[in-house]
Amino acid sequence: MNENDRELLEGLQALAGVGPREAPAHIEDRLRARFRKEKRRRNLFNWAPPLIAAACMAGIALLLGMRSEAPQPVAVPSAVVARVTAPAVDEDSDESFYPLPEAEALPAMENAMVVRVQLPVSSLQLMGVPVSEERADASVQADLLLGQDGLARAVRLAQ
Amino acid sequence: MVRRLAFVSVAAGLAAASLLAQGPHRGGGPGDFAFVRAEFGGSNKVVQGAPYSAQAVTQFTQTLANGDHIQRNTTASIARDSQGRMRTERSFGNIGALSATRGSGKNVMIFDPVASKSYVLEPESKVARSMPIPAARLANSSPHMPHDLASAKTEDLGTQVIQGVSAQGKRVTRAIPAGKEGNEKEIDIVTETWYSPDLQVVVMSKTSDPRFGESVYQLNAITRTEPDPALFTVPSDYAIKEGRPFRQGEARRGPAPAQ
Repeated sequence: MNENDRELLEGLQALAGVGPREAPAHIEDRLRARFRKEKRRRNLFNWAPPLIAAACMAGIALLLGMRSEAPQPVAVPSAVVARVTAPAVDEDSDESFYPLPEAEALPAMENAMVVRVQLPVSSLQLMGVPVSEERADASVQADLLLGQDGLARAVRLAQ
Repeated sequence: MVRRLAFVSVAAGLAAASLLAQGPHRGGGPGDFAFVRAEFGGSNKVVQGAPYSAQAVTQFTQTLANGDHIQRNTTASIARDSQGRMRTERSFGNIGALSATRGSGKNVMIFDPVASKSYVLEPESKVARSMPIPAARLANSSPHMPHDLASAKTEDLGTQVIQGVSAQGKRVTRAIPAGKEGNEKEIDIVTETWYSPDLQVVVMSKTSDPRFGESVYQLNAITRTEPDPALFTVPSDYAIKEGRPFRQGEARRGPAPAQ
């Protein structure tokens, strides 16, 4: 045992003589707080995937719900949309027409006709359909469903 | 709100489709249209044993914000025989608030449930477009639009003689509560209908919707004698062509034909 070893041994013996020592209380508190925080973070990561999946499913359900609440296409009187070639079972009505808001209060149709017209997009404004001003000068072909009074009940894009 | 969104979607579709349409609008201002073609002018309600002829007049009035008025009138000649065949002769110069940019789009439509045929006569070209009527489509049911009548109030107006015909009247008032459509005050939409049980037709109707305007429809000069049978046949100088119903995706390229 050389001189250095002896000094080290004496130091250790002195340290041992002081007895067991603990970290200061504030250090322990900080450590515990840190462990709790880390645990919460891990829990969050564990729950994140199912939470995200649930949110996505809820979003899809909401979109589907909105679609189902959209205005129901008008069932056009079957005689109006008679088709020449091999009528199919589902051809008794054409549900591609959308009701016009201005037709809400008009009397029920006794007979009907479909008129194909070429009209500026701005004309749809007069029918209560909001359109972009930028496209107001463009023209489009559309089918108008008219009642016995010659007033439009519904519209369908020809294109 | 959702309904409005749906209409915005339709409008967006129209705007997008317009990019593929026939180029810039030629002539006419906002609110105008060009008649292209009419299709199938009959009825799927077959009424037999109650012939009549009449002039149908529709007056549409829209009041603008500055107090000005837009007024459009349309007329049609209507005839129905004892067999339930119908003929409607109508000009499409106006459709509600819309006015044709050129021509009147005059058409004669014949609905013949006896022969299970319908015809659209085009006087300009002397062409009769024929389309069959499947028997299943001759059901004796009256088509009607799905009205939201949940909050509607209906009043019986009794019986009146209109144009020589006894008619039963009713008034339906539907209220749009304040705030529902961004409106400050309640909006009352009133529809008055006079229906003839004998003829099984509406002889007069009035609709007042402050959002869009007022319309009055009336059958004038009603006669209840048997119409001339020739009215329900295709004139001999017309060429009969098998017609095809309108379908989506079949818009014509180029400008609409002049009438």
